[in-house]
Amino acid sequence: MSKEIIVSPADWEPLDIENDLREKIWSTQRTFAEDVWFRFSHKKSAFAGLLIILLLMLFAFVGPYLTPYSFDTQTLDFSNIPPLMEVTNVDDNLFYITANLKVIHVGNNGKLLAALPKLKEDTAQKIIYYDFNGRELPLSYQKKPAAILNHEGKRLRRDNKVWNTSYWLGTDGLGRDLLTRLMYGTKISLIVALIATFVNMTIGMIYGGISAFAGGSVDTVMMRIVDIISTVPLTLYVILIMVIMTDGFLSIIIALSSVYWVTMARVVRGQIYSLKENEFVYAAKTIGSSQSTILFRHLLPNAMGPILVTATMMIPSAIFMEAFLGFIGIGIAAPMASLGTMCNDSIQALRSNPYQLFFPSLMICIIMFAFNYVGDGLRDALDPKLKK
Amino acid sequence: MYRYILKRIVMTFLTLFIIILLTFIFMHSVPGGPFTREKELPPKVVEALNKKYHLDDPYPKQFFDYLKGLVQLDLGPSFKYIGKDVNDFIIDGFPVSAKLGLITLVFILLAALPLGILAALKNGKWQDAFVMTLATLGVTIPSFVIATMLIYFFSYRLELLPTFGLDSWKGYILPVIALGGYSISFIARLMRSSLLEVMKQDYIRTARMKGQTEFKIVTYHALRNALIPVITILGPTVAGLLTGSFVIEKIFAIPGMGVHFVESVAQRDYTAIMGMTIFYATFLIVMIFVVDMFYLLIDPRIKYE
Repeated sequence: MSKEIIVSPADWEPLDIENDLREKIWSTQRTFAEDVWFRFSHKKSAFAGLLIILLLMLFAFVGPYLTPYSFDTQTLDFSNIPPLMEVTNVDDNLFYITANLKVIHVGNNGKLLAALPKLKEDTAQKIIYYDFNGRELPLSYQKKPAAILNHEGKRLRRDNKVWNTSYWLGTDGLGRDLLTRLMYGTKISLIVALIATFVNMTIGMIYGGISAFAGGSVDTVMMRIVDIISTVPLTLYVILIMVIMTDGFLSIIIALSSVYWVTMARVVRGQIYSLKENEFVYAAKTIGSSQSTILFRHLLPNAMGPILVTATMMIPSAIFMEAFLGFIGIGIAAPMASLGTMCNDSIQALRSNPYQLFFPSLMICIIMFAFNYVGDGLRDALDPKLKK
Repeated sequence: MYRYILKRIVMTFLTLFIIILLTFIFMHSVPGGPFTREKELPPKVVEALNKKYHLDDPYPKQFFDYLKGLVQLDLGPSFKYIGKDVNDFIIDGFPVSAKLGLITLVFILLAALPLGILAALKNGKWQDAFVMTLATLGVTIPSFVIATMLIYFFSYRLELLPTFGLDSWKGYILPVIALGGYSISFIARLMRSSLLEVMKQDYIRTARMKGQTEFKIVTYHALRNALIPVITILGPTVAGLLTGSFVIEKIFAIPGMGVHFVESVAQRDYTAIMGMTIFYATFLIVMIFVVDMFYLLIDPRIKYE
């Protein structure tokens, strides 16, 4: 165990002046914002979430300019066409048979060319004759699924699969392009969520800030009001507000932003309450700052971390709520789309056209995931102490 | 403690009164009144209808008449279905919804608690990762998406379970899963984090030191305290089940109260909306009160001041 420590006389000599540099901090000092960004971007899930949100914004806000359709362009001939079509090949011409027994001529590249005009119907034999460039094309619906007959009267199988390149995600029951509607729906849902969150944040900050800053009986009364509001089942009240106002974009924002500020008010109040006894507040009072300057210029900026985290977490719940309202039929008015109303529209046709429900649902899930991960990452980055 | 209970009771009644007042004001601020239809009714008819339903009385009188009715558990007539009372909707629908809700609640507890405990005890292992992934999925996917996906796969594709109705026990499976999905995830997460916290405490180390078996440590010492946050969340969970039932009952065509509510909203049946809102709100507030009282019983450390 024991080991002799050898001290040479040279160790007692003064150090070179050069050695001062050892004490120097070589790395650049990061500001708070850089620090937050460093922690945030090194968390993979949070960074991925942010990236997805940016892509979604691109999809929702730039996408509509790139499609040839509008959210209400209807082509009734091409209703309920799936993204991947099972087509019948008749002499190198492809035909898609719709659920309501229409025959659509499909190009080899997957473009929908035209719905064939009906010539006559033989109800006894259960055959409909369609006209294809002067040729008769018999469609038998005696047995399910309906099939085109060749000249010997044999059923032709639908054995080719072609991706729909006219409507990449297919069409809905009114022949509207699902991709375009998905873009508009995402846009509406995002805008509603962002505005509602912003309004809630502002109301919550002002209410909570005043309550904590005023203190005393004002605080008690204001918080008692918050207590009462938070026991009220808010979903019911959002529905009530939607009932007394007309359907539409503005009413949904008013409904969402009039009730959800309660959480924010509590967070802000808690923060301000702990901050207001700090020295910098006394300093501000001493130099004669007004009450509102202290509250809005000194206290609220210091509480910004938890406020931002709460706000980010509010966005997914606003999207959730909007989708819920749309789903029970009191959301954005038709023909405009939101993700919730798109789900609602497609639920009747779930069995025959599951893709119509699949895409908007998937979109809701992606948005929820992305915002939740960003919120988590932001919480860890802004306030490492909060991390569980 | 009795003072606390008394205070809570007073607060509960105050909240109820405010809810009733708010609902009343909301429903009477509808532009055009309850008899505005696409096809306009003659003014005489509207006048007669207003007289019949006492809508020509001054508002305070209407409000107190309504309150009087509420005290006698009478929610008034429906404006859209002639001859039906709002009470009928509740008597028809509530037992169905309540049964579904109760089964779901039991299912939530049976699924969420073991999952949360498993995740906490196997902290950092694959079981933990599995439960946490499942919980994240459950919290982020809306219940109507879960419900429709379940129907698509289990009813249409595999043809194992019915798509609607509650005629047999099989009918309950999908609605219960879809309705409980969110709460299971939430409670499993809560159970995990609270049990992890408790397992770090000194008294757990003491129990280990005494040579207590790990099973008894978890069941006797840790779980008792770890369950407290879970019980707090039960009130809001019941609330979530109720509002969730709007969607689930619609999808699975279950003749519960949620369907009546959504239908009244679509039909703008004002008295029905008002009555059912008040019923829901009262039910929830009473539930939260009961949970709070229960909480008081099980945790002797809490002496509400």
